[in-house]
Amino acid sequence: MSTRWLHPGAWWLWALGLGAAATRTANPLLLGLIVGVVTLVVSARRPQAQWAGAFTVFVRLGLIVIVIRIVFAMLFGVRVGTDLLFTLPSATLPSWMAGVTFGGPVTVEMLVIAAIQGAQLATLLICVGAANSLASPVRLLKALPAGLYHVGVAAVVALSLAPRIMINVRRVMRARRLRGRSTRGLRAAAESAVPVLESSLDDAINLAAAMDTRGYGRMTAAQPAERALQAGLVLVGLTGIALGLFAALGAASWGWLLLVIGLLMATGGIVIAGRRVPRTRYRPDPWNWPETITAGSGILAALAVLAGSTGTISLPLTWPALPPLAVLAILLAAAPALTTPPPPLPWRTA
Amino acid sequence: MSQVHAVRTSWRTISALILVSAVGLIAFFWPFVVSPDSLAADHATDAPWFFALLLPLVVGVLMADISAGGLDAKGVAMLAVLAAVATAVRPLGAGVAGLEPMFVVLLLGGRALGPAFGFALGSLAMFTSALLTAGVGPWLPFQMMAAGWLAMGAGLLPQIRGRAEIAMLVAYGVVTSLAFGFLMNLSFWPWALGPGSELSFVAGAPLSENLGRWFAFNLATSLGWDVPRAVLTAVLTVLAGPVLLRAVRRATRRAAFDVPVRFEPLVGAGRQ
Repeated sequence: MSTRWLHPGAWWLWALGLGAAATRTANPLLLGLIVGVVTLVVSARRPQAQWAGAFTVFVRLGLIVIVIRIVFAMLFGVRVGTDLLFTLPSATLPSWMAGVTFGGPVTVEMLVIAAIQGAQLATLLICVGAANSLASPVRLLKALPAGLYHVGVAAVVALSLAPRIMINVRRVMRARRLRGRSTRGLRAAAESAVPVLESSLDDAINLAAAMDTRGYGRMTAAQPAERALQAGLVLVGLTGIALGLFAALGAASWGWLLLVIGLLMATGGIVIAGRRVPRTRYRPDPWNWPETITAGSGILAALAVLAGSTGTISLPLTWPALPPLAVLAILLAAAPALTTPPPPLPWRTA
Repeated sequence: MSQVHAVRTSWRTISALILVSAVGLIAFFWPFVVSPDSLAADHATDAPWFFALLLPLVVGVLMADISAGGLDAKGVAMLAVLAAVATAVRPLGAGVAGLEPMFVVLLLGGRALGPAFGFALGSLAMFTSALLTAGVGPWLPFQMMAAGWLAMGAGLLPQIRGRAEIAMLVAYGVVTSLAFGFLMNLSFWPWALGPGSELSFVAGAPLSENLGRWFAFNLATSLGWDVPRAVLTAVLTVLAGPVLLRAVRRATRRAAFDVPVRFEPLVGAGRQ
């Protein structure tokens, strides 16, 4: 199979689908299966790039979350279960801190529930980490809607400038060392900030001039009616979102309706703003069968788990059963390891 | 001396900023106002995920509005370079809690270039630094919102100059560094603990009780990181603030943001 980059949106949909599946099940076997599938796909399709190392960072973060969850459960958790392990010394905080009680008896059930709930969060983080290390960030920026074109340009420039600024910092530090001045401590950091910032700001002015002469950051003149329509959609839409949220939090069911209408209007505002930016994309990432299969398998896993498993843990604890439909759907989500084209090698990255 | 606005601030941009901030406030503070009968109270651990999907959308709407309302090539370049500086200094901080040096850049950028530009700078810098370190996660939208507020606030402070300005920025930096940690805790408070624990929020409980539980949660988790961050922001602002602010202001003057562009016929040029 020839190499090419998969559309970053496909990887994110796949990962978020599996992550959503993880939040919907309290079955440790299914959670373990999701982690296994994600790890398999990442090891098969991870490109050789610096950002691809994110997966291990997120796995470590997930483990930390499980540990924190267990410690918090022992200290502050709900005292449930009958299988007593040990008892922590207990104390109550003063009333201005809500009279919180910590410590007390620790049971097997408490620890198991905390570990499973921690594993849910950890699985979700691992899915997000998979998306981080599979989808190229710069390609994700290319897929931004046209209305966000200017901000997208700023983000791309910032991403390519940031490593150069780090090199600049190192250069200034070397110059300080050659002059026999200290390179440690806050004062050195503050003093070296000035030349670094000055040269970066000079870069900004040059960049602006270069962009101006090449026509970046321009947009077509808007008709007054169109501009008013866009402003109206954005402002009314945002108002709808804010009011809808507030009403929904107050348990008014029409709040959700208002929220959805507001979201649609605000999105319409972005689309209309994008019409003023007549741009073509250079070599856009295509959306072909591999993308559809990848995104679809993730969403399918989410739906199957939603249908076939429960998110609550019932006491007394029992060994979890394996719902066949959910298992099958999660296993299918491993398909991208084979069906997607492998990423290009580093010297051919674009 | 009046303030430079790198982004033209029309009533439209201002009202969009206010509305997006209102949505952001709800996304952070909903545990204090949620009714026990609402859907969000039943799904307390899922609600942060819902807001993590909603916030990028409203921030995106705001960004589209800012760029449609007048972000020219100079604005884009200035935004990009300051975001790059903030992104570059972020890893210099200590590990996971290392947002510290970045705050100074955001503070000074928002201060020198106005509140609307500040908001764009704060959220863009959070976004690019997350992309560069591959740290895109559910926390990112909340960080973008909080960092946007932080930089916007620096531009909204009264326009004074000299030592008084630095003193004001130091005080502001300390308060916002602490507030940033408290806000980030607030954003994952509902799902970090799950419902029912001694430190979890209780839907519909009186405000004072939930505030107390939130404070106890802060104490138990992150106050040990928030205080050093506030101190470092203050020290860096005192040491580097005056020169950096001057540098940014000089560059802003050279970029001449508020000068209207006019096309005039060249006198005596060409043969016509």
